Amino acid sequence: MWLPVVGLIAGIVLGLLTEIRIPDEYSNYLSIAVLAAFDTLFGGIRAYLQNIYDEKVFVSGFFFNIILAASLAFLGVHLGVDLYLAAVFAFGVRLFQNIAVIRRILLTKWSTNKEKLEKS
Amino acid sequence: MMKVKGKHVILSMVCLVLGFILAISYHLTQIENQQTKQDMTDSQYKKTLSLRNELIAQEETNRKLQKELSQRQNEVQKKEKELAKEAENFTSLAKDTEKYRMYLGKVKVKGKGVKITLADGAYDPQEDNVNNYLVHEHHVFNVVNELYISGAAAVAINGQRLTSSSYIVCNGPVITVDGVPHPAPFVISAIGDPDVLSSAINLSGGVKDQLVNDNIVFTLEKENEIVLNPVLGS
Repeated sequence: MWLPVVGLIAGIVLGLLTEIRIPDEYSNYLSIAVLAAFDTLFGGIRAYLQNIYDEKVFVSGFFFNIILAASLAFLGVHLGVDLYLAAVFAFGVRLFQNIAVIRRILLTKWSTNKEKLEKS
Repeated sequence: MMKVKGKHVILSMVCLVLGFILAISYHLTQIENQQTKQDMTDSQYKKTLSLRNELIAQEETNRKLQKELSQRQNEVQKKEKELAKEAENFTSLAKDTEKYRMYLGKVKVKGKGVKITLADGAYDPQEDNVNNYLVHEHHVFNVVNELYISGAAAVAINGQRLTSSSYIVCNGPVITVDGVPHPAPFVISAIGDPDVLSSAINLSGGVKDQLVNDNIVFTLEKENEIVLNPVLGS
């Protein structure tokens, strides 16, 4: 259970320590990728709590969404349309929905646990 | 158990990638902020804007004034040129006036020149006619004309300036110049280039030879400084 948290911390430390420089014009793509990763992560957590979690869907969705968001932003830059806004909007809405669903599931779980405890 | 562990490993890999991307993004944004220094507050920005606007306005006025200045300078230059031209005209006019006054004998003239003395010849008993060795007015005429032709600026006879309206008349034993009688010997002083004047007078077969033929004592001196007074009463 602690392994994912350890992985997250390791990734953050690795990213801070490695002095990777990305050109300014690509920083937009990176932010979109971060948003996509968050979305997929919370989607995965929601699916896990709803017991419909599929590992393949989660992992493929994680990387595919990152690449898709980045390429969408890339396309937008080259077409002169701020397409990355579409990605931001879509991911943002989904992020909020996912977090709301997670919160509700957790609340119901918590209340049922409480009832069980009171019954027993 | 193995399945669960594999699941966790994959999840931790995903988390690793997420953390990595997050960190890089954070890092990048930090660097960008440092580079562009966009941590300017609103009031600062407003102040900068107003100062910039003021600067632009100042520069515009500067440019306008500069233009005006160059225009004015052009005008001044034009006027200066005109003035210079006028001054030139005036100086040339003044020079002309000076020259004409000199010719008219209205001013005192000083300069290099020649002095010619015509004296009556010595008494010769063989000559019957006294007129043959006296200086006549036509001798004086010849000399004066020759001097004028060779470029004399001013001529005087016995110190009396000749003008454009002067007349020389033979009046018995004397010569009258503008009504003033002058006895022999006659001293004709002329201002001009001494070399030119003397060579013009000394031309063989010229004035000097004629005068000598008429038994007149002729002397020519080059003078470094001759002063000719203006015509009296003019």
